Amino acid sequence: MEAVRKIVETEAQAKRIIEDAKSRAQEILESASAEAQRVRQTALSRAQQDKARILKEAREKAEADARSSDEETNVLLANYKNLFENRKEVAVKKAVELILGG
Amino acid sequence: MEKLHNRILSDAKLKAADIIRDAEEKARQIGDESRVQAQKDADEILSNANLEAESIRRGILSSRIRTNRLRVLDEKNRIVQSILKSVEQRLSEIASTDQFQPALKRFVAEAIDAVGADDTVVRVGFQNAERKSLDSLGRTLPTGTRFVVEDKPIDDLGGVVAGDVGGKVIFNNSFRARIERLDNQLLTTISSTIFGE
Repeated sequence: MEAVRKIVETEAQAKRIIEDAKSRAQEILESASAEAQRVRQTALSRAQQDKARILKEAREKAEADARSSDEETNVLLANYKNLFENRKEVAVKKAVELILGG
Repeated sequence: MEKLHNRILSDAKLKAADIIRDAEEKARQIGDESRVQAQKDADEILSNANLEAESIRRGILSSRIRTNRLRVLDEKNRIVQSILKSVEQRLSEIASTDQFQPALKRFVAEAIDAVGADDTVVRVGFQNAERKSLDSLGRTLPTGTRFVVEDKPIDDLGGVVAGDVGGKVIFNNSFRARIERLDNQLLTTISSTIFGE
């Protein structure tokens, strides 16, 4: 009788050991999932920050290039104005001669 | 009995160790797969960001460059039109210059030649032209040619129009008609003189 009781107690103890291990295994997997989620969030968050920086830099660079194009155009237009003032008479004379066909 | 007791516990511990080992292995896999997937997602975000950045850059630049090109073309066109206005002004006053008589003779000769008829009607009309000098030109024309001096400049700027008596053949040699015929050459001459192109 005593022997049977002892066996039952031992079986119960063994069952507890396995249940504890299953519980621990569950914790390990939950922890791994949480860590995986954290790693993913960190990577995505960093990528989103990089994306915002890339877009901001692209916009700033394009705006700077556009301003540069404006300035080049302003210089060109000022140059045209000077050319017009300096060469207007010659152009009119040549055009009149062409029309008169002399 | 003691042996059986130890055996049961030992088996349980081995099984527990297997369970833990399996869990740890699976946890490692979860970590590895998660890192790889996260890196893949991050790379995709950055790749799309670079495409979007290029699109933003092109959008800003191309619209501004287009606007500036239009500004340049508008200014060139404004300058050319201004020159043409001055040219028209100069032509309308040509009768008071020494270029007038030679040009008039050429215009009339060209017009008569173009019509190619024996009974040509030549009409001339210029602003501020002396009637006397126009009439004297009329007397030098071939026999059969009728010479008409208009009170007003032909086509506003002045010029010569010739035709046969029936009006079937007409050659317009007014300044405005010549400007239209010489349109491309005029634009080229003006552009090359002003802009050097």
